[in-house]
Amino acid sequence: MIFREVEDRDLVGKARRGDVDAYNTLVSRWDRRVFNYILRLVRNREDAMDLSQEVFLKAYQNLGKLDDPGRFAPWLFRIAHNESFSLLRRQRPDGEELKETASPPSGPHLLPVETSLAVAAALERLSPEQREAVVLKIYQGFKFDEMAEILDCPVSTIKSRLYTALDLLKDTLAPVQLRGAQ
Amino acid sequence: MNCSSFDLKAYSLGEAASAERREVETHLAGCADCRRETERLGLTRSALLTLREEEPPRRIGFVSDKVFEPRWYERFWQSGPRLGFASAALLSCAILVHAFVRTEAPVTPAGAGLSAAQVESIVDAELSKRLDTAVRQAVARTEAEQQKKAAELVAAAEQRLRLEHRAEMLSVQETFEVLRKRMNVLYVASAESRVAQ
Repeated sequence: MIFREVEDRDLVGKARRGDVDAYNTLVSRWDRRVFNYILRLVRNREDAMDLSQEVFLKAYQNLGKLDDPGRFAPWLFRIAHNESFSLLRRQRPDGEELKETASPPSGPHLLPVETSLAVAAALERLSPEQREAVVLKIYQGFKFDEMAEILDCPVSTIKSRLYTALDLLKDTLAPVQLRGAQ
Repeated sequence: MNCSSFDLKAYSLGEAASAERREVETHLAGCADCRRETERLGLTRSALLTLREEEPPRRIGFVSDKVFEPRWYERFWQSGPRLGFASAALLSCAILVHAFVRTEAPVTPAGAGLSAAQVESIVDAELSKRLDTAVRQAVARTEAEQQKKAAELVAAAEQRLRLEHRAEMLSVQETFEVLRKRMNVLYVASAESRVAQ
């Protein structure tokens, strides 16, 4: 991880000096993770693709404003967060409406595909903020302080969102995973 | 210390500091409730991780891609200093041509040759005509390229839709197959229970 950070810092430095290939390397390195982060938030592949493209273009245009080149990843995800929530606000200006989603499959044993369906359904039930906290921690592996930097809020808020989400998910998914493992 | 003073979620997520981790582990050794809770958190985490990452449907455009590069005439027109320099160069050429024509031209009776102002206006008109033609050609070429690109994008989108539709159909088939197998199992179980009775 430390080696990776040094590399990102180096690439950002080169890109700032006009080395376009260095920036292309950063895009190749982060595009899949940024796409999946946005996808889990906006839940539409085409929107996620368009927003990912926008994120990398904005990052390139604003590379000079990045204070610490070693913090490229949280800064990039901060841009992705802003773009995603901007779209979500445009789509649902009066706030997120609770969506009815399929219940997790029942039965004595579960196939992997059924577990995945149950996970997707459980994530759908969370608020966008709770889902984002889960995505950043579980799927993207960020630390609490990095999440606070990305979401521009205190670590206590991050913990509150994540812990509430985990309590909700635990009630649904722990039994599902247990059945799937049997 | 009671159970609530231990942050089991931070521990399960790997966010506990080493001292805190040791304290939690010591507590877990003697507390069945907290052990169960930690196990449930672990199961939740592993269930979440069954959801695979997806590949982006196409490559993110690089800033070096042609689509992001301004056309030569855009760069030309958007660059004030370049435009100024080009105008000055054109004017210098016109003056040089004018001077050359004047020195090489045989002496003619007054009024028979072109005046300096006339030569300058002819050169200006010719240059402006050529510049207009070049810009028109460049714009036409760009429009043709954009139309071609739009057609390619539409074709790619249609192809993608077809693939997504196929993937959805496969998923439905897979789910249907699972349901069918379950029905079979239930049917066999009920038949066996009837036989046993």
